[in-house]
Amino acid sequence: MAGRLLLVCRLLVRDLRRRPTETVLLLAAIAAATGTLTLGLALNGIADRPYQRTRAATAGPDVVVEPPEVTGTQALTALAPLTTAPGVTGHSGPYPVAYLMLTARGKTVHAVVEGRDRAPATLDRPAVTGGTWVRPGGVVFERAFADALGVHTGDTVSVDGHSLRVDGTAVTAARAAYPRAGWRVPGTPFTDPGGLVWVDRGDIAALAGGSQSLSYTLNVKLADPAAHDAFGAVSSAALNTRSWQFIAEEDSALAKQARKTMLIGSWLLAALAVASVAGIVAGRVIGQRRRLGLLKAVGAGPAMVAAVHLAEYLVIGLAAAGIGLAAGWLAAPLLASPGGGFLGSVGAHPPALRTVVAATCFALVIAAAAALAPVVRAAITDTVHALADAASPPRRRGGRVRLSRRLPTALLIGVRINARRPRRARLAMVNTLITTTTLAAALMFQVQNRQETHIGPSELVNPDDERSYHAMLIVIVVLCVLALINAVVSTWSAVLDARHPLAVARTLGATPGQATAGLSAAQLLPAVPGVAAGIPAGIVLFLAASAGQIRYPPGVWWLATALGILLAVAALTAVPAIAAARRPVADTLRSTAS
Amino acid sequence: MTGSMVLRTRGLTRQYGRDSGLVRAVDEIDLDVPAGQALAIMGPSGCGKSTLLHLLGGLQRPTDGQVWLADHRIDTMSERALARLRRDSVGFVFQSFHLMDELTAVENVELAALLAGQSPRRARKRAMYLLDRVGLADRARHLPAELSGGQRQRVAIARALSNDPLVVLADEPTGNLDSAATVEVLRLFDEIRAAGQTLVVVTHDARIAAVADRMISMRDGAFADDSPLAGAGMAGTGSGRGSGTAAGAAAGTVYGGRR
Repeated sequence: MAGRLLLVCRLLVRDLRRRPTETVLLLAAIAAATGTLTLGLALNGIADRPYQRTRAATAGPDVVVEPPEVTGTQALTALAPLTTAPGVTGHSGPYPVAYLMLTARGKTVHAVVEGRDRAPATLDRPAVTGGTWVRPGGVVFERAFADALGVHTGDTVSVDGHSLRVDGTAVTAARAAYPRAGWRVPGTPFTDPGGLVWVDRGDIAALAGGSQSLSYTLNVKLADPAAHDAFGAVSSAALNTRSWQFIAEEDSALAKQARKTMLIGSWLLAALAVASVAGIVAGRVIGQRRRLGLLKAVGAGPAMVAAVHLAEYLVIGLAAAGIGLAAGWLAAPLLASPGGGFLGSVGAHPPALRTVVAATCFALVIAAAAALAPVVRAAITDTVHALADAASPPRRRGGRVRLSRRLPTALLIGVRINARRPRRARLAMVNTLITTTTLAAALMFQVQNRQETHIGPSELVNPDDERSYHAMLIVIVVLCVLALINAVVSTWSAVLDARHPLAVARTLGATPGQATAGLSAAQLLPAVPGVAAGIPAGIVLFLAASAGQIRYPPGVWWLATALGILLAVAALTAVPAIAAARRPVADTLRSTAS
Repeated sequence: MTGSMVLRTRGLTRQYGRDSGLVRAVDEIDLDVPAGQALAIMGPSGCGKSTLLHLLGGLQRPTDGQVWLADHRIDTMSERALARLRRDSVGFVFQSFHLMDELTAVENVELAALLAGQSPRRARKRAMYLLDRVGLADRARHLPAELSGGQRQRVAIARALSNDPLVVLADEPTGNLDSAATVEVLRLFDEIRAAGQTLVVVTHDARIAAVADRMISMRDGAFADDSPLAGAGMAGTGSGRGSGTAAGAAAGTVYGGRR
């Protein structure tokens, strides 16, 4: 057993060292898919951990209570009994709140204005992230709101016509971050998007035009924080209660669309990674046919042959899982940054165990799924055939033979190369199909009306939309890199595999240009159906993941996309094809002689 | 089956293709190879001699007929059992060496022993002994690319002997070698033969006959001639088409066989 294990490890290490480029490509392909999945999973907890951290740092309340339909003393009267209600162990407030219009940098938006004391409260002590806490004549912005408006400490803003200087920025766990601060439409229980600002308690009445028009908010601490439902039941039905869990949920909804984009993207990338790894593995197994035959000749059974090959890809899968996990987790703050609304960041702590397990299993499944078929085929390959290193003869189909007779030399070579390795042609088609599907979905995304949040008369950037856009960009960039790798690897495999027949073709009169064009054509031919099917698939994918009115790009955009992809495939495949065609025929024939 | 008979075939047939494209690469061959015999099989290209060798070693399955290796009928064995038999009882030497490029000479030699489940230490000791025997102890840590053709073939021969096989099957072992390297390999085969190892060599090279006890000529998948050579005590007494039986093999074993 020790001897066999040594042999498996020895072959594994030597093979990885012997083919560093392929190993790196395999690592890149699997790590890209794993990294994207990690990013998607990191988005699941986008607001969870930062919210908890912010809640702990700011002494966040368990429940926030507001009387939505009454103001002034009536509101204070409605809230007063709650401070001594059963199960309540602490409170802060009631704090006066006004739902006003704020003008900054030429935009007028909804602002929830809360009057606070300069001294820190027992519950809900907003953490100052820049500048200072509230002072008379000043305003402190909730950080995400300040980011969206582009205001900074020292700026001057106007609240319902009153000029206030911006004293600082802060974060709180008592209200959802911008734009879900809950701006109440005066006289109704309904809310609109808005941002939160704090002012000195002494200033708020003047801003709101009198103390009787002020609403109030009470922060409550419960003996059992999970018992907020029971608290809601004992409080008056006329009061609006928001539990900390509800606020956390509101914040987590910020990344919902981005999370969906990343998860769909990670599945697309996984499919592409499987195609990529399958292509590389198939090329490697073809390159190892003699070794495989030798192993069998000296007594390795099918299981041993499979173990020798599979171990290599599983080890690569494990390494790629580590790389993908690290890359995804490090990249998470760029996309999943909780923004100004929270303290800390998503990637500041090690990933959860379930994320590590999911990413590792994902990478191993990709490696195993892609390697299984070629490895099983290798294990059952006829020993003598493997020793001779002979490609399976293409099935002779009368139609194909008749067709190829009429084709120009380059196309004929391309058709023959694909007929020789039909699986590689199918992988090339899958590669183009997935790439085109993603690009088509991205194009659909691009032509939709970029949603901006109406926060009063003005519009501000919708952070949900921004995140989705960034998520889409990440998926597209990773996918294009992977597709590029696939195209080059596929052509290079074809180059290595077809070098002997191409050299023979050149001895029969084919020019280097025809050989190059033939190799390119071999990749381009299966790309055509991939592009043709990928555009409708991308539209369907976008429609499945979207809601509301959909806009479609003009037909010429689709045509340009299709032609662009085909041109890119042609250009990418031409490079290795040209390199192969430059080698002297005699050298090729000598090196491939068996 | 006679105990000292290492290889035995009856009606061994291997066909390729169908109908009008049918080729009988090996055509109803009867063959007995006693323990310790060095048998050379010669014939023109395409006469079926390599196919016969592959059938004898269990690398290919016959279309018809039976093959025994020692007391085991191998044409009905599972792939797994065949693999086990190959690593325990057969050593192969190929025309194009088939060494693993990424393994050193000594690692190539110990390959079969490790596959057979020997401990790494024991496998290495045996591999070093064999490399010494073929005169390459000083090249043990070299990769195949750093060895000459003759040296590579000597490594392949050492590998074929690593599990002390019942029979060594060599397919054109000098086909890719220049004259000097061929002489080296011939000398090695002579030593192996003298040590009593059963040897079947398929070759175009008439010089191989110099180290064989018996030579069979093949044509169109069948035996055309089966003759003992100097020092050989047994000759084929062909019975019917493609016959090369070794009558009186039990009494005529020249070499001591395994170990």
